[in-house]
Order: sequence, then structure tokens, then C-alpha cells
Amino acid sequence: MISPPLQKVMVEGRDFRHARVCPPFSTFEGMSSTETAILAEGIAKSYRRTVAVADVSLRIEAGETFGLLGANGAGKTTTVEMIAGLRAPSQGRVRVLGLDPRHDRAKVRQVLGVQLQQAHLHGALRVSELVNLYRSFYPNPRSATDLLEMVGLSEQRRDTFEHLSGGQQQRLSIALALAGRPRVVILDELTTGLDPAARRRMWATIEGLKHDGVSILLVSHAMEEVERLCDRIALIDAGRIIAQDTPAGIVAQAGTDSLDEAFVALTGSELEAAE
Amino acid sequence: MLTLIACEAKMVARDTAGLIVPIGLPLLILVTSAFSAGSEEIVDGMTALDLFVMPLVLVVVVASIGMINMPSFLAYYRRSGILRRLAVTPASPAMVLAAQAIVSVLQAAIGIALAFVVASLGFGANPPRDPWAALGVIALTMAAMYAIGMIVAAIAPTPNSAVAIGLVAFFIVGALGGMFGGRQALPGPLAEVGGWLPFGAAVDALSAAWAGAAIHVGHLLSLGVTVAVGVVIAALLFRWE
Repeated sequence: MISPPLQKVMVEGRDFRHARVCPPFSTFEGMSSTETAILAEGIAKSYRRTVAVADVSLRIEAGETFGLLGANGAGKTTTVEMIAGLRAPSQGRVRVLGLDPRHDRAKVRQVLGVQLQQAHLHGALRVSELVNLYRSFYPNPRSATDLLEMVGLSEQRRDTFEHLSGGQQQRLSIALALAGRPRVVILDELTTGLDPAARRRMWATIEGLKHDGVSILLVSHAMEEVERLCDRIALIDAGRIIAQDTPAGIVAQAGTDSLDEAFVALTGSELEAAE
Repeated sequence: MLTLIACEAKMVARDTAGLIVPIGLPLLILVTSAFSAGSEEIVDGMTALDLFVMPLVLVVVVASIGMINMPSFLAYYRRSGILRRLAVTPASPAMVLAAQAIVSVLQAAIGIALAFVVASLGFGANPPRDPWAALGVIALTMAAMYAIGMIVAAIAPTPNSAVAIGLVAFFIVGALGGMFGGRQALPGPLAEVGGWLPFGAAVDALSAAWAGAAIHVGHLLSLGVTVAVGVVIAALLFRWE
């Protein structure tokens, strides 16, 4: 069900009547579906009595970097998993470049790169072997050298995955998500576990992808990251999109001085600091 | 697919414990049994080493890979989230399964070849009189043991439990199939049951092929039914996550 353009949102007695909870899709009428990188309409996911995602609608334009910001347990990862086709929505529909990620799996996998929150890879394989394995899945992959340089793992090419540090494993996972030159990339907690230098390197990589016109869905609970990288963001809380706009737009809607304060004002909770 | 198979082969080769059981155990059984088998001719130039020990050893190779090694790898992939990670790529979990099966076949081929070379050079073993029948029985045995392994992989929640369940199943069917001193040493009813289970049926079928004799249809049926039942149960119970 598509939310109305304006919806009253009450948080701690404060009326955010004029907060644009979900952008009206009438705003985007006339745009062809192929100009939309990711479309999620009223998606929800329930497990028996647990509602992980109640009602999420969002549209990510081609070439846009879109942030999904929320606290732990807000429904970010479940939303991403439905968009990536790993989970079937209980209701609603998802399209990636106009394709259904569940029914058009083969086509979607060729154009979509996904970095999951946990890096699950073959522990006994070397970095170079993993890179070449994932490259082999695509018809026109990036070179192994480029991928390792992008994430700063050129020196670790002969190390096995299980002997990498947590941050190095995360960086490798990101490289593998980019192996097939995807047009759309989903990055779940991109810089969690990375040191500041590695974090900035990752940000530079993302900015490079943006320059190349790649559409990016960035899941994060790091304010600085989303403010720096994202064109628009959505705040998610208890499985629902609370606000969706540019970072400056959300700050203005909430009438606060920062995105941090806006998040607290709109959701009523603090966002845990990034690790 | 070739890259995936190569990576699977590397994973198997780097799992030292996973190599010792399917390669080392059969060789141990071969050497200890060969010394006591004697060189007396039983039929048409074939000795007890040819008709009883070699079939047993080859079935042990195949059974240990299918029922112990393969399920532990699948359980590891599922537990570690590797299958989930691959699910967001063009590679499918089915491809991983196929790559595992191919590597298992290669591993079995190496184990069989090694056992035959040791038996031939060390103890004068003869090749099977009907090599094509023997190959066919080995292939069917591999499918049957793999089917049992899929059931183990389906019910085992962790890699360690997959190894444990696989080992228990392996030793039960192996013991009833004559792995420890031949089925004739077992009580009558147990020996009868053992002959119908896939391990015993495979040993008997391979023994017949080695002697160039007709293979009992019942043995082939036992292996075929094992494949069918294993596939159905695994399809019902196996989860990729």
C-alpha cells in the first residue's frame, strides 16, 4: 500500500505533520522503470508473530547513492535481503532495474553486486583464489589486480581468508561485490569494523563508483558516512520508513541542527555509534 | 564452473583430516587384510585378495567420501553462510553441490587408483575380469553413498555433527557389510541384513564383477533404492540455510 504524500507522525507528542514520510510515487510518474535502479513498493516481512519489516517503500534512481539508516533491529538487513532476492517479501513487490530479483534471478545477479553484513567466504582459500572464483561468475569482470587495489588488499593476495583480520575480510567482501562491474550495488554496513584509514579508502571507492554512474544502496548506522556519501537517505525504525529525503532535507523537516538529532527526534531513539 | 571445481578441489586437498579417512583407512584395511588373505586360488586365478579384500577396500573409499567427507563440507558451507553469500551471485548453490560431487568423484578415483596400485605391486592383486561391470558398480555405489551423505547433510546442523552422524552411519553399514572380518563372521540375521544394505550389496556386486560372474539383481536394486530414497529424503529435508 503506497503511503499518502503527507502523513501525521507523532513522536513524543511532537507533531511532524508536515514530515514527508514516504515520497509520493506520483512525483515519479512518467519516469520509465528502467530509469529506476531499485523499486520497493509496500514490502513487508513477517516470521510467525515477529514483524521484521512492516511497510517499506522506496525508489532509488539510476546513478543515485541512497542510504538506509536505522538502529540495530530496525529492519535494514531484512529490507536489503528482500531487495537482493535472498528473502521473499510477505507482501509488496521489488524490482531491480525493472527485474524481479526472485523470478529473474539469473539476470538480476549479473547486474547486482551485494556485500552482506557478514563476510561468509571459504576460509581455506587464498584472497587471490576467492577473487578469481567470484570473477569467474561474470562475463566481463574487473581485473583481480584492480579489485585488490580498490580495497587495499594487494599485499594479502596469498593469505587465506581465515587468516585475514575482520576489517580485511570486510574489504575483501566489498571487492567481491564489485567483481562483476555491477550497475547496482548493495552495501550492508560498508565500513563496520574498519579502521579510519580503511574507512576513508572505502569512501573514496564509493565516490569512484558514483562517478561511474553505479546506483548504490548503502545500509549504515554511521551518520558521517551517509551524510558524506548519500544523495538521499531513508530513516527506518521498527520496520517502517520514518523519513525519506536528502540529509539536509531530513534535518530541516525535523527542525534540528544535525542528522543525529533528526534521527533521535523522528525515531525517539539513539543510533548506536559505528564500530 | 571449472574455477569453482578447482576451488572445491583446493578446499578438499587442504583439509588434511578429510584426506586421511578416505585414503588412509582403506589402505590400512588393504594392508592388514592382504597379509591374512593368502594366495590360494579360489576361482579362475582369483584369490581372496581379489574377490573379497579389493571390493571391500574400494567400497570403503567410496563410502567414506560419500557419507563422511561430503556431508561435512556441505554442513560447513551452510553453517558458515558461504551458500548464502553465493546466492547473491550468478553461481547457484546447485553449482556448489555439483562441484562438490565432481571433486568427490575425483577424490574417489585417486583413492581407488592408489589402493589398486598398492594391492597390485605389493600383494599381486589381479584386475577385475569384467572391468566395465566393476566400473558400473562403483559408479552406482558412489551415487548410493552420496545419497546417504545428502541425508546426513540434511539432518546435521553443524559440520561436527555431520562428521559424527556420517561416521556412525558409515561404521554401522560397514560392520554389517563385512568391513570387520567379513559377513560370514556375523550372526545369520545380521549377515542377511548386511547383504541388503548398500555397503554389503556393493561389496557383493563388486566381488561378482571382479570374478567375471553375473551380478545379483538384488544387489543392484539395493543400491538403486538407496539412491532413490536418499534423493527423496534429502530433497524434503535439505535446507540451503
